[in-house]
Amino acid sequence: MSLDIVGVSKSFGGVKAVSGVDLAVRQGELFALLGPSGCGKTTLLRIIAGIYPLDTGSLALNARDITRLPMHKRNLAMVFQNYALFPHLTVFENVAFGLRSRKVGGDDLARRVKEALSLVRLEALAERYPAQLSGGQQQRVSLARAVAVEPDLLLLDEPLSNLDARLRDEMRIEIRDLQRRLGITTVFVTHDIGEAFAMADRVAVMREGKILQVGQAGEIYKHPANRFIANFLGPINELAIATVEGGRSRSVVVEGGQRVLLGSGTKGELAAPGMRLLLRPESLQINPAIGATDNNLDAVVEDIVFLGGSTEARVRAGSLKLQVSMSSATASSLQTGQMVKVGWSSADGVVARDQ
Amino acid sequence: MTSSGDTVGASRLQPALGSLTSSPAVTMALLFAPLTLVLLVAFVWPLGQVLLNSFHPNTPQGIDSTRWTLDNYARLIDAHYGTILARTVRISLAVTAISAVLAYPVALFISRRSPRVQSWLILAYVTPWLVNTVVKALGWTILLRNNGVFNSILMGLDVIAAPIRLLLTETGVVIAMIPGHFIFVLLPLWTAISSLDPALGWASGTLGASPAATFRRVVLPLTLPALVVGLTINFIMNMTAFAIPMLLGGVRNEVASMLAYQIDLVSLDWPLGGALAVVLLVFTIALIWAGQRIARLLVPSPGARE
Repeated sequence: MSLDIVGVSKSFGGVKAVSGVDLAVRQGELFALLGPSGCGKTTLLRIIAGIYPLDTGSLALNARDITRLPMHKRNLAMVFQNYALFPHLTVFENVAFGLRSRKVGGDDLARRVKEALSLVRLEALAERYPAQLSGGQQQRVSLARAVAVEPDLLLLDEPLSNLDARLRDEMRIEIRDLQRRLGITTVFVTHDIGEAFAMADRVAVMREGKILQVGQAGEIYKHPANRFIANFLGPINELAIATVEGGRSRSVVVEGGQRVLLGSGTKGELAAPGMRLLLRPESLQINPAIGATDNNLDAVVEDIVFLGGSTEARVRAGSLKLQVSMSSATASSLQTGQMVKVGWSSADGVVARDQ
Repeated sequence: MTSSGDTVGASRLQPALGSLTSSPAVTMALLFAPLTLVLLVAFVWPLGQVLLNSFHPNTPQGIDSTRWTLDNYARLIDAHYGTILARTVRISLAVTAISAVLAYPVALFISRRSPRVQSWLILAYVTPWLVNTVVKALGWTILLRNNGVFNSILMGLDVIAAPIRLLLTETGVVIAMIPGHFIFVLLPLWTAISSLDPALGWASGTLGASPAATFRRVVLPLTLPALVVGLTINFIMNMTAFAIPMLLGGVRNEVASMLAYQIDLVSLDWPLGGALAVVLLVFTIALIWAGQRIARLLVPSPGARE
């Protein structure tokens, strides 16, 4: 089942929560809506669910228009941030809830509830009440309840935010596996970049009710469309472009007077004063092999921060300060005050506008 | 300097406070004591007196507390008293039942308004209770009489040909008692509905339940205990109501509270009044207990809640 969102907007009391969103979620895809809190991602999810009516635009599920369809007729299922399990019903009855709405009964009902519970390995707890379950178990019941109805579309609202870190990592994989096995088209909302990257086939980054960029995690991470996305997805070095060298637009002078080379794919309009060259800390190398990088600056190591598997170094090339991330093994010989070469391949740099 | 002074002061206070609040049990008892004392003196003790009186004979010289008898209870087994008790229960149940039916639509309506509108609406529903009962009863006599608003509207709409007699009838008493006591049903139910997690309704809806099914399968079972609390209070208020039945039902529709007034303050037969009070108390408790059993049967598994 594919989901098509066209020109969807929604305001609350004059404040635009979602504005002009176009999105196409493909059949069987696990799609993430990623953004900081207040960016409108949960509102968009609730519009898809039919909880909020939309102001303008249309929604279609597998080419069937569902824009005006009440939520109970959309044949979708949703997992809520606080799970929203029915406290007066047993685990079995919670999972059976949607099936009973669909007039499934008797042996068929018992079989399908059991199946759903076995998907999340909770058959043994069928007679418990939600209050008797741990957070992780409640989360899995809520998943079982959603997939039991074999929905055309599964919606997950910050499904992991109420779990502790270890459980969250487990559930990421579990949800991903379940989604793949069942092949349910799924949209989930998260503010956690790691979660979106680890789980989603594609990610849409949202801000202030708008979708800024859609793509595979790696693609967005490497080629953010603007500074906001670049910074939101992780630490990044920003080098303001001061002047462009005469005829060769790939060679520019950045703040601090350093001359650097932009990637060959950089569009001419971007290689202009006022733009910024963005470099991920892990794209930078300390003392690279000769010829490995086409940009090399002399720098001094100012600070070294050990982070376990990786180590971060702050280096200064002239007045230009750069953050470099490397494996701790590589960093073992590094010392504060040491003179080094900092290099990067021009292809790893991204030139972006301010917004 | 100040800080050291404070420390000295605090340490001096410590032993005195420590001896008072040495154990949590003592602290709890101290918190509990004032109201318990008031209830003991002003409620339990008089109630005990009433209970004792009900087992003593009444004589022209007063209550003979040297002799014990069941005579007062035997005197209550009487067709006249039975009629009055049946009428009291009938009126009370009718008011409670109608309030129960009206409560959900009103509570749902109010809980879906903005907080500001909600408080105004609740105030509006409290108002009938705030108006003096006698004034309220007088108002109702104007509305309910043969050429009053009720009959005029019904006749104007050609629903009825001749006015229905409402004044000095049980129906009139029931109609007049509903608004004043409705707030006791509405308040707990509104609180329960307002505090329901909206995601429960969304979960139910996205799982395919229509709004009506969501009400029946989620809202009703989760808020029924609150409704039962409200209905219990409402029923007690109805059983003990005095002014409305007196002024709108009249002596021909005598209820238990009017009978108690008659026996205790006109005939001054306190032992018989005591027996009546005990019977009424037992009766009311029994009815409430039965009501709660029925409510529990309607929602078979309230389950372990958080």
